[in-house]
Amino acid sequence: MSSAVSTPHGRPRRRSQAGRSPSGATTKAGGSAQAGRPGDRQGASWLRRLASPLAMPALALATAFLIGAVIIWITSGSLTTVFEAYSGLVRGAFIKQRGFSETLVATIPYVFLALGVSVGFKAGLFNIGVEGQFYIGAISAAWVGQLTHGLPAIIHVPLAVAAGAVGGAIWAAIPGYLKARTGAHEVINTIMMNYIAFRLTEYLISWPLKDKLATAVQTQRVSPNAELWTLYGMRERLQNPLDALLVALVLGLSAWFLVHLWMRRRTSDEAGLSFFRRRSSIPWIAALAVALVSFFLLPLLARAWWPFGDPYGRLHVGLFMSVMAAFVVWWLLWQTTIGFEMRTVGANPGAARYAGVRISRNIVLAMAISGALAGIAGTVEVLGVSICRCLPLFFSSGYGFESIAIALLGKNNPLGILASAFLFGALRNGADLMELNSGVSKYVITIIQALVLLFVAAPSIVRWVYRMKPPAGAEQEAPLTRGWGG
Amino acid sequence: MAPVLQATGITKRFPGVLANDHVNFTLERGEIHALLGENGAGKSTLMNILYGLYDPDEGEIQVDGKAIRLSGPHDAIDHGIGMVHQHFMLVPPLTVTENIMLGQESLVGRTRALGGLAVLDRRVAAARIQDLSQQYGLQVDANAYIKDLPVGAQQRVEIVKALYRQADILILDEPTAVLTPQEADELFVIMRSMVKQGKSIIFITHKLREVFAVADRISVMRAGQMVGSVKPAEATRELLALMMVGRKVILQVDKVAANPGEPVLRLEDLCVLDDRRHMAVDGVSLEARAGEILGIAGVQGNGQTELVEALTGLRKVEEGRVLLLGEDTTHARPREIIEAGVAHVPEDRHKHGLVLSFPIRDNFVLCTYYRSPFADGIELDYPQMADEAERLVRLFDVRTPSIETSAGSLSGGNQQKVIVARELSRSVKLLIANQPTRGLDVGSIEFIHRRIVDARDKGSAVLLVSAELDEIMSLSDRIAVMYKGRILATLDAQEATREQLGLLMAGVTSSEPERVVDPRQGAEDPRKGSEEGAHV
Repeated sequence: MSSAVSTPHGRPRRRSQAGRSPSGATTKAGGSAQAGRPGDRQGASWLRRLASPLAMPALALATAFLIGAVIIWITSGSLTTVFEAYSGLVRGAFIKQRGFSETLVATIPYVFLALGVSVGFKAGLFNIGVEGQFYIGAISAAWVGQLTHGLPAIIHVPLAVAAGAVGGAIWAAIPGYLKARTGAHEVINTIMMNYIAFRLTEYLISWPLKDKLATAVQTQRVSPNAELWTLYGMRERLQNPLDALLVALVLGLSAWFLVHLWMRRRTSDEAGLSFFRRRSSIPWIAALAVALVSFFLLPLLARAWWPFGDPYGRLHVGLFMSVMAAFVVWWLLWQTTIGFEMRTVGANPGAARYAGVRISRNIVLAMAISGALAGIAGTVEVLGVSICRCLPLFFSSGYGFESIAIALLGKNNPLGILASAFLFGALRNGADLMELNSGVSKYVITIIQALVLLFVAAPSIVRWVYRMKPPAGAEQEAPLTRGWGG
Repeated sequence: MAPVLQATGITKRFPGVLANDHVNFTLERGEIHALLGENGAGKSTLMNILYGLYDPDEGEIQVDGKAIRLSGPHDAIDHGIGMVHQHFMLVPPLTVTENIMLGQESLVGRTRALGGLAVLDRRVAAARIQDLSQQYGLQVDANAYIKDLPVGAQQRVEIVKALYRQADILILDEPTAVLTPQEADELFVIMRSMVKQGKSIIFITHKLREVFAVADRISVMRAGQMVGSVKPAEATRELLALMMVGRKVILQVDKVAANPGEPVLRLEDLCVLDDRRHMAVDGVSLEARAGEILGIAGVQGNGQTELVEALTGLRKVEEGRVLLLGEDTTHARPREIIEAGVAHVPEDRHKHGLVLSFPIRDNFVLCTYYRSPFADGIELDYPQMADEAERLVRLFDVRTPSIETSAGSLSGGNQQKVIVARELSRSVKLLIANQPTRGLDVGSIEFIHRRIVDARDKGSAVLLVSAELDEIMSLSDRIAVMYKGRILATLDAQEATREQLGLLMAGVTSSEPERVVDPRQGAEDPRKGSEEGAHV
């Protein structure tokens, strides 16, 4: 890096005592060695700023696929198999009929789950129990969804989603509370809670909530009004004024949020905008405008032209929900005092206590938010994907455990998580055609995933392979867990 | 005769930093060579190179005129170079003998099987340790457990450890940082006796008083370069300070007489437990008044940390009361205490003072992020935070590339300035500063002292806790000496002398004159306390 550094007098301004241990070279030396002239800052173009955090995951991915290729080559004994396998993977994930939309379908729960994991990580908590919270969210949503068939979607959908979120939140808050109160480590307790969740849902599906009329062991089908609409079905739905109102409300609220954020991001001393800053009515006007336009024009537009014409497409509105969730998590963690507290607790609990932040409350809150996101993942699977629109006995998945890898690959950053969830969705979806095409077992995918995770978790391996220099700035990633003592 | 150790043209680069820039350093046989410099001047880097921990990018090291290459500390030890680190490398539950043998065990009954399994021979080692201890007047008991030894004795164990490995050259890295003035003087006697018997010592410090007390030659480093070497006889404190900092430094804090007002803080028979549930603060009663600096002197680990934590709500008070401006804050939460007007410069800036991974902008609002103007409802107002950060960076002269720079990448002095700036940016009724300048360079110390006196002059009460007697004496208006959790005496700063305070810090009160006879006894006494110091 040329971030380096001398004052105009040609002497290093900030010298480093540079760690006391020799092995500290990457972490400690990097930490205290820093840099320079204010001018350097502008020198680093936005492209480089964007590229540098992407370089490591990209190299990790490339390396993982390379090693995956070698494994396929060795086990099959032929190079063509490698090409067949990877071309099958790509075609399965993107090109074949509904390949791309199915990839997105698989991406949706990954996004919610990985966001949940990342919220935990940011608060210094390793929520390894998202799989269990996923199940509790799913069963809660399934229960609320089939309670009544009389409610309109504008009430029933939010209610069912909220039920899933609350179920997951409570399930995760329990180990959070145990940690805050007794110091019991959340890794142990969330794993335990996973097993309780699995067996509890099995019991609920098999007895109290069992659909007595169905041959398979499953819960009752949820009300059509509680379903998450497929994008194909949305066209019809929009013709119902109440359903159109729901869409208008969601879009209006999103508009309010975006305009509000856009206005806040302006600096205070930009004279022209301070006018806007003081008007809190502007986001409301924007929201009303968007809501009205979408309420009256979207149904017309849908009748005239609709891009999602595949009646068998399973892609559903959860896609938009997941993007919105990523946005809300970003806002919560980086734009609010709540997130500031949680990140402080995660980065340095000692400093958090010193600053008067209540650690216990933040641990419970972070776990609850984390669990709520995982619960929503279960919800969208039940309400939007499950063929019976119910919770069958053998449901999912492994989604939960893979999402931990996704959160790591995405560096706990919502945007990164969207990208890496998409990648994992593509791998999951492309695996079948890969197997069909080349005879290579689809479990090779899990090897590749494991390699990606390995390289992301241990970047020094990648750096060694590509002869890269350790980063000049300290590697300031979220502290994943803080030892077992709590 | 060739010098015993000679380093020529040593250069070491770290990413973004030239830590050593063609440094030359010579150590003659039988001399104590003090190496002086601010933090970050490159002293530790140079010593780590001489001890084989770092590989220099350029330059040559000669021992007894022969060029050597060090690929690790074991090489350095083979060449007779030993180092006593600032943080001791001892295993507390093992005995002195076991610690010293560690890595160089003497064995009996070595077998062929199991990779040369053998039995430790503690007796031979213990005998050698006793010999060495006597030869140099180190007074180390070979069979004592490290965890039972006070800090001063642990340090002597470290010295014996180096001698046991036949070190001719000893590098002592800030050895006096954890000692009372009396203990430091004892160490100097030991150092003298070692050089008399042919050893050579490199003595790293940033305390000017000590180099005059013990050094034969003084070298000063600044900004990675060797500024020069002088004899103590030719040097003055002002000259050395000038060499260290590169500009004139006011060593004495000049302040007008205090104008004490109303009591701000009152402690009544405060009792606080430490982490191991021992009584750390044992019935302390104190009063700090507006417009005065109350210094709390004492060797580290005599309950000062717990006292401050109790005052700031970070530690439970067992008994007694804390009254802040007449309000009872004994069991208040940290935030309530902060909002009552208490500013706290914590002892450990990494553990409590800063979130190292956060940009300094966020660290500036660590205690006020939830209040207007930094928060609007639950949303953070980043432009306001940035304005405040820019203002404080300018006001406190924090050297940083930008306010977005993470706190962890600043130097120690600048990190401390961030904390002091943050704490003094609020309206402050009581400033609690615990070791506010530990490990800082002269320039930063001067600056932070100035700010503390300013806070006093603006009418804040200041509680200054420090193990540095110089700091206590130059800043305080009244001085309370803390020993084993009690306040032994509270003195007027005008009348207190270094010797008087030093004895009190060692637990010697005038009512027990018999203990003054053997100062070593007194120095070794703070057993419990010193142990904690070692854990830091």
